[in-house]
Amino acid sequence: MEDKLLIWNLNRGDTDALCRIYDKYRDDLVRIAAGLANDVSVAEDVVQEVFLTLVRSAGRCKIRRNLKGYLTTCVANRIRDLGSKKSAQNPVSLDDIEPVASDAKGPDQCVACDEEFESIYRAMALLPYEQKEAVILHLQGSIKFREIAELQGTSIKTTLSRYCYGLDKLRSILKSEVE
Amino acid sequence: MRPAEEIERLVTDAQVTMHPDVKGDALNELIGELGRSKTIRSADAAPNIWRIIMKNGTTKLAAAAAILVGALLAVYNLGPASVALAEVLAKVEEVKTYMYKVDVKVSGPVMTEISPWGQDMTGTVTTSKDFGIKQNMELIDPNTGATTTQEIYIISDEKLFVELKHEQKRFTRSVLNDDLLARMKQQHNDPRELIRQMLEVKYTALGRSEIDGVQVDGFETTDPGISSTTADAKVTLWVDAKTWLPVLVEMDMRINEQGRIRSTYHDYQWDVPVQKSDFVPVIPDDYEAAPGDGMAWPEMTEAAAIAGLRLVADLLGRYPKQVSMVELMQELSPIVFKHIKRDLPGDVTDTELETTMIEAIQPLQSLGLFYMKLVEDQQEPVYYGETVGPDDAETVLLRWEISDTEHRVILGDLSARTVSAEQLGELEN
Repeated sequence: MEDKLLIWNLNRGDTDALCRIYDKYRDDLVRIAAGLANDVSVAEDVVQEVFLTLVRSAGRCKIRRNLKGYLTTCVANRIRDLGSKKSAQNPVSLDDIEPVASDAKGPDQCVACDEEFESIYRAMALLPYEQKEAVILHLQGSIKFREIAELQGTSIKTTLSRYCYGLDKLRSILKSEVE
Repeated sequence: MRPAEEIERLVTDAQVTMHPDVKGDALNELIGELGRSKTIRSADAAPNIWRIIMKNGTTKLAAAAAILVGALLAVYNLGPASVALAEVLAKVEEVKTYMYKVDVKVSGPVMTEISPWGQDMTGTVTTSKDFGIKQNMELIDPNTGATTTQEIYIISDEKLFVELKHEQKRFTRSVLNDDLLARMKQQHNDPRELIRQMLEVKYTALGRSEIDGVQVDGFETTDPGISSTTADAKVTLWVDAKTWLPVLVEMDMRINEQGRIRSTYHDYQWDVPVQKSDFVPVIPDDYEAAPGDGMAWPEMTEAAAIAGLRLVADLLGRYPKQVSMVELMQELSPIVFKHIKRDLPGDVTDTELETTMIEAIQPLQSLGLFYMKLVEDQQEPVYYGETVGPDDAETVLLRWEISDTEHRVILGDLSARTVSAEQLGELEN
């Protein structure tokens, strides 16, 4: 309910509504984008672009389902459009992956994240893109499998399979990492 | 190997948090872009206070009246009556049937945290002393541009309230008790009530003017006593200089810090010919009963009001800060809604959810209606919800006059009693 009110206020040009939407969803969207793109800088840019698009549509923005789901889908679509998918689709080794939580990008892009989560992001980077997308969108974006299937242009059965394979593969990677 | 649930938890909980400075810069860019946006709509459209308050099925007309015209029913210090305005009232009271058009604009977050719906309204109302009231309204949702139409009937001899929502192909019927029916008929945008109230507060004569080629005389009041809902209200009445019948009524009321309701009543037609059948709704065969159809209207009794207070105390451990209908719904509707949603199974349908919500919110509606009734009946209610809680057993939570020498009180433990003025003084000290 509150999200619809925020959108309504945003449509009227209300800065407070924009700030609240941003504070509410920005971090969630960055982590989703970071997982999908394997790149924090890309994630930040993508999320900023999604918010800019939202702002530019103020006055005519119509969100028919929940706002987080809408924004998450926008992020996923944009990452696909940007071709991040292409690089992410190519399996890489653990050594090739920069930890998401790295401070190496400079203080202006400081990202906080503990070790356990760091290893999860590194492991997710090794998944085929569609599997990773199913896992991240469902678990971090709270997107229903039916909606992920629509996004991926496939059946819900295939999406469920991708999700299960993705989880299995993550387990294997994390296990081998420990060993 | 870790179980699948553990992997799911790790992915779900994985956090990436930006440095506040980075977030600040990014947000500033967005704020700047918002300022540059050329596509922002006008601020005219606003949450539909009608649907927000009245969506819950049963308080529709009573609450609407409370906000728009019933809000005018508070009576405070009697002022000197104007001969001219009194004559207008006398003329209007002779009329048996009249029609008028209404335009309502709601601006600002009238009902924050509750609903995104913002709708301007326009419509036609026909009132007959003998048969009842018929209202055709068109509502425009500024989010979607979608227009919805609804018909509302208050049928006098059947004591029936009927609402038809044409786009949804739904209808709602409710039986009214005598008290509620009388109040609705009395309050429903009735120009007689408006003039009576203007006569009882301080107002000014605006002199002669012209509207659509008609010579009119104007009367205006900003007296706080004109509204029981807000101290910031302006009402302007223009009457035909020849017939002494109203031509135009404009009301501008501030509902909260940013929210306003501006309504205009115009195109009056007096003593129009009507038949009983004009006030009988025709419900198409393919329309369905809406959630709440057949439910009784919330009671306006002391016991029902106490039940409403108890509901809030059980939910929040405190009482509502205010008990006027608007503020009550503003504060508590989202909380009740959240509790209901949490307790329902995940696969509940929208209809089931709406029905449950309507039932659950009735005690709150009763509380708001009861307080409204006390105001309307000039019983001078005083409510202390901001300072009195459920543990304050011997402290007055709500009081009102029942005679010149006696008051009725509801105490913090929700017991009720009748006390003398002296006893009331002791309780309040």
